[in-house]
Amino acid sequence: MIQISVDEQACNGCGLCVKDCPMNVFEMGSGVSIPRRPENCMGCLSCHEICPAQALEHQGVVPSRRMYISSRVCSMLNRVI
Amino acid sequence: MTKSFIEESQQNFQHDLMFRVEDVPLKCNPPAAELEQTLHGLMQMNGYIIRSLEEIAGRGANAVTFRAGKKFGHEVAKYFQKKDNVEEALRELSYILYGQYSFEPWKPADKDHYIVEENGSTFIYLVFHDCIVRQTLRRIGQEQSGPLCQTLCGYVVGAIEEITGRRAKLEIVHTGPNACLKKVILK
Repeated sequence: MIQISVDEQACNGCGLCVKDCPMNVFEMGSGVSIPRRPENCMGCLSCHEICPAQALEHQGVVPSRRMYISSRVCSMLNRVI
Repeated sequence: MTKSFIEESQQNFQHDLMFRVEDVPLKCNPPAAELEQTLHGLMQMNGYIIRSLEEIAGRGANAVTFRAGKKFGHEVAKYFQKKDNVEEALRELSYILYGQYSFEPWKPADKDHYIVEENGSTFIYLVFHDCIVRQTLRRIGQEQSGPLCQTLCGYVVGAIEEITGRRAKLEIVHTGPNACLKKVILK
């Protein structure tokens, strides 16, 4: 099962993850997002992508292939970093 | 002395390999690692074709791409076994989509069954993990659930209709960067 954790220090309570998730995994509580139903998470990671505070972490998600990543660009970035 | 481009090209494209009519290639050449630039070029070209189609044809682009996908699905699936059982049909579908798309049946935790019969139709949710459409759209920074996603919808619908002999529909429920949720409806 997928486990989701929210960094309460980082979460700014914008509620984008609550609105975006079609499975209603998240709910707002005391100004931060709370993953109430992680058992319904299908691992699409759209909440992960839209979170402006990058406060979400998912464990147990099957990573899909990333064929769109260009190794030339990444190797250049690695040199810079 | 440096060579001119023409001389360099002539050298690069010279080969003494003999092609014979009876030669049957047994493997994909060059190896996958060397195909990255080809793949990316193809993804970009495909993405721009779809973007231009959408700009010119508007919403009609979806109908065009769905139709193209459906034809492709019917064409590919006609060589596969016909199945009445929905679960077995999905297995056949996974063989058809192998290497391009991977999916798994999905249900909310509070539901008992994956396959639901309702008002004479059958539906099932599928989570698509690997998807070359998503890869293409992400490569060129285009939104999901547009006309290119309709090619996959058409492809799955065409293939599943061919396998089961029933009319099918595929609805995009949600799209994400790592997986997409789709609902297959069989009538």
